[in-house]
Amino acid sequence: MTKDAAVKPWKLNSASTRMLLIAAQVLALILFILALEFLRHTTGGTLSLFSTFAPVLALLATIAVLGVALYRFSRRHSLFVIEDFEPGHLIFQQGEEGDCAYFIHSGEVEVVRREAGAEQIVARLTKGQYFGEMALISNAPRNATVRSITPVRLAILGKQNFLTMLNLMPSTQEDIMKTVNLRAMRKAEQ
Amino acid sequence: MNRRWAISRCSGGSWTRERKRRLRASARIPALLLASFVVFPFLARAQQEAARFQMDPVEHAAARLLVALASIGIVVVIYSLLKYKGAAVGPLSWGLLIAGAVASPLLITGVGTILVFERAERVEFCASCHLTMKSFVDDMKDSKSNSLAALHFRNRYIPDNQCYSCHTSYGLFGTVEAKKEGLTDTYKYYTRTFRLPIKMRHPYPNHDCLKCHAGSAKWLASHEDYKDALFSGEATCMQCHADANPAHNIAQAVTP
Repeated sequence: MTKDAAVKPWKLNSASTRMLLIAAQVLALILFILALEFLRHTTGGTLSLFSTFAPVLALLATIAVLGVALYRFSRRHSLFVIEDFEPGHLIFQQGEEGDCAYFIHSGEVEVVRREAGAEQIVARLTKGQYFGEMALISNAPRNATVRSITPVRLAILGKQNFLTMLNLMPSTQEDIMKTVNLRAMRKAEQ
Repeated sequence: MNRRWAISRCSGGSWTRERKRRLRASARIPALLLASFVVFPFLARAQQEAARFQMDPVEHAAARLLVALASIGIVVVIYSLLKYKGAAVGPLSWGLLIAGAVASPLLITGVGTILVFERAERVEFCASCHLTMKSFVDDMKDSKSNSLAALHFRNRYIPDNQCYSCHTSYGLFGTVEAKKEGLTDTYKYYTRTFRLPIKMRHPYPNHDCLKCHAGSAKWLASHEDYKDALFSGEATCMQCHADANPAHNIAQAVTP
């Protein structure tokens, strides 16, 4: 088996956490319907379905939500965790909550902004540059989507550690604020 | 001047639209909650009618709580799915997610388990397997039948849950054993793998008659000569009673 054909382990990311939360809510809805049907018409069938599946559905929904909450918590508190991404991977999407900043160790990414249904590439970033800091500083959702163009290695810094770093290192804060202002000005010009 | 007027008119219009949109959005949750309380409670009403005078307070409260929890859960989950589409981006969305997908399901499972045990004892529940059990229940409710079941039912010797009361001889792990057998019966019923005529798994034990009758002065007076044999199991109740009053007076269909 070649390296490319090897099965890659499934990893949580922003898209899969969203799918997990939707799945948890759908499972909860199925449970509610089973409960109401059991109440409306108690028979051997409805009672067996409810008593067998309700605990399983409740447990699965709880595990999914708690799993996503733990994942988000670990992301917010990550300290330069290194992650590799294949070309074309969505690192984060416009409109999502920002929970960490990304420092490019190697490779190249593109920053894409969607406005009125049309996508526009606003920047390409390479080794030594960083992105994802604006949502952490402004506490607003991500204002753009970032996608890898080549194989990318990123150092991920969680929101809590990023903000602590800004407080402890005034020169870094100054540098990052300059970049934030520059990017905000570019966005306004566009 | 014209441009300024146009801007002010435009911003005024968008402000009104924004205000209307916010009003509509803020009215959505109370409207959905109100709808849930109007629409869903009727589901539990049908089963309350039959037991108006022998209402079990635990069952009654648990059923109402379960309807309320399930209704609120449905509203919260649908609202959360429509508004956030699976994203959790702030305290409100996390709150709705935890309320709808964690707290409500766990509470419903807990309250529902109480109801499962309560409702599994009802006559209506036993009769719901109508291909196999309905004939027994019909005989029990028949005012002209001479069966022991009918005699006990029409005189209200047992006020409610008559099937369960006469057919339970659960020991320490008896409830678990009975639920296991019940699940097997349910499987056989819904997969249509049962065979007619149905039979009891075990011979009817004297204990199930004696648990009520053994302490009765009337019974002791009329069973003085037989009570030791009945207590020891050497004789069975049905040896004498079956001729005049069979347990159930039915002719069962036979599987072809």
